[in-house]
Amino acid sequence: MRSPTRILAGLLFALAVLFLFFPILIVAPMSFSGDRFLGFPPRSWGLTWYQTYFSDPGWLAATWRSLRIASLASLIATLVGTASVVGLARLSGRWRAGVTGMLLAPAIVPNVIIALGVFMLALRFGTTDSEVTLILAHSAIGLPFVVMIVGAAYRQTDPMLEKAARVFGAGPLRAFWTATVPPLAPGILAAFIFAFFVSFDELVIALFLMGGSETLPVRIWNDLRFEINPTIAAISTFFVVVTVLAMTLAEVLRIRATRRQGSN
Amino acid sequence: MMRFGERLTLLPAALLVLAMFAVPVAFVFAEAIFTPGFSLAHFDRFFSRPVYLSVYLNTLVVSAVVASICLVIGYPMALFIVSQPPARRPLLLFLVLVPLWMSILVRTYAWMVVLGREGIINGALQWAGLTDGPLTLMFTTGAVFVAMVQILLPIMVITCYSIMTEIDPTLVRAARICGASGLAAFRKVFLPLSMEGAITGWSVIFILSMGFFIVPALVGGRRDVLLGNMIVNQVGQANWGFAGALAIILLVSTIVLLGLVRLVMGRFVYSPREAQA
Repeated sequence: MRSPTRILAGLLFALAVLFLFFPILIVAPMSFSGDRFLGFPPRSWGLTWYQTYFSDPGWLAATWRSLRIASLASLIATLVGTASVVGLARLSGRWRAGVTGMLLAPAIVPNVIIALGVFMLALRFGTTDSEVTLILAHSAIGLPFVVMIVGAAYRQTDPMLEKAARVFGAGPLRAFWTATVPPLAPGILAAFIFAFFVSFDELVIALFLMGGSETLPVRIWNDLRFEINPTIAAISTFFVVVTVLAMTLAEVLRIRATRRQGSN
Repeated sequence: MMRFGERLTLLPAALLVLAMFAVPVAFVFAEAIFTPGFSLAHFDRFFSRPVYLSVYLNTLVVSAVVASICLVIGYPMALFIVSQPPARRPLLLFLVLVPLWMSILVRTYAWMVVLGREGIINGALQWAGLTDGPLTLMFTTGAVFVAMVQILLPIMVITCYSIMTEIDPTLVRAARICGASGLAAFRKVFLPLSMEGAITGWSVIFILSMGFFIVPALVGGRRDVLLGNMIVNQVGQANWGFAGALAIILLVSTIVLLGLVRLVMGRFVYSPREAQA
């Protein structure tokens, strides 16, 4: 009586997971098509579209720009966010809730609205078409993820460690660096990876702000509005593999960072 | 002295959020209201033209429908994961998480490939002899729903799952021992306890859907325009004030609607504090 329903439930779950993976399972093999147009199944196989991507100066420039912006934006978000987690822990009840809410707000408000505001302000100050503006805006939307991930890891650390370091004569900075940071490291690295991909994938702020110099998402967006370019299948597959590997690492680190204390 | 120094570590984050979020959003409000003197002309224009109103209603309907479809599929998925032995759960959760990490742009592109005239679905249908010519799957409302649900579904599963793992399984067992049928135990004990996760998941997906513009722009038809698309189009035409008004309408209606959802659905959430009173 029980087992048929169980099998049915398992089948339905598998079907839903298949639905989640379906588009990428189709695009990945098609990126190895040797045909000039995308059709399924491909008539011939080859690395044509990967070659196009890795030899096209426009695509490469957009990719490097995105990598540069995402690296700096996630670095800023991680540093600033980790520092804020320490400060938040020192605040009392209502203040902590209020400030946390403020730091998390950029994750809740649609990016279109943030993009519009940042763009209009940048117009006023003449700072459009500037990678600096885009990096700072991306840091702000990556910040909530750092505050959530590092914050969760910080709550698992033992405050006595830092106190002990202080008792043994370490200054406040040294005590923080040698006693508090090491157990937080996996959480900080996980937060960095999350913030990196928040920036790397972000379209609308870059679209408004960066007129002439396209980031990778902007380049993909501009291409997709005219035709379904097979090069994008190759780029998609390439970056899906990179993203999934990096995020798997981030997820493992995040889980380890939040479990560390609880398991002993 | 020490404590003050440690609180200073909040300063860079506060400045960043202020400069790149709070001030810009406030600026959008100001731009929409002052044109250049105080006026509600932009809002008047929005609410007096049927074209804009239909886009507005469409955004609300699409977001609510996408959130509801995600709930109907995602809640049972979370329930399935929780029903498995704890050792197997991380793997199942991982399967749901992986698609979430892929770029929304990439996933939308994948749907364009799948649903296109020469796409795999049309190819399969014609190969099987079910249809003579290619069906129009792209640029339809259905395509928008399919792609949005695929993009947002993992969030529902994770939200429901995280609440369900907090539920003490002995409570359901107690209900069964006291004579409740399996269905009754689920409906009277498990469902109210997990309702919080369902409402949170629904709300998060509703918020995210309200701001969507990539999916409707790429796989939707001319009638599937959402508020997000209108904002992007207005920015393209340099109508800042009107774009700002649209942004405010989007933000305020999201907040008001979520407040209403909380108010109405709050009755169905089991709250331990009320039970003790």
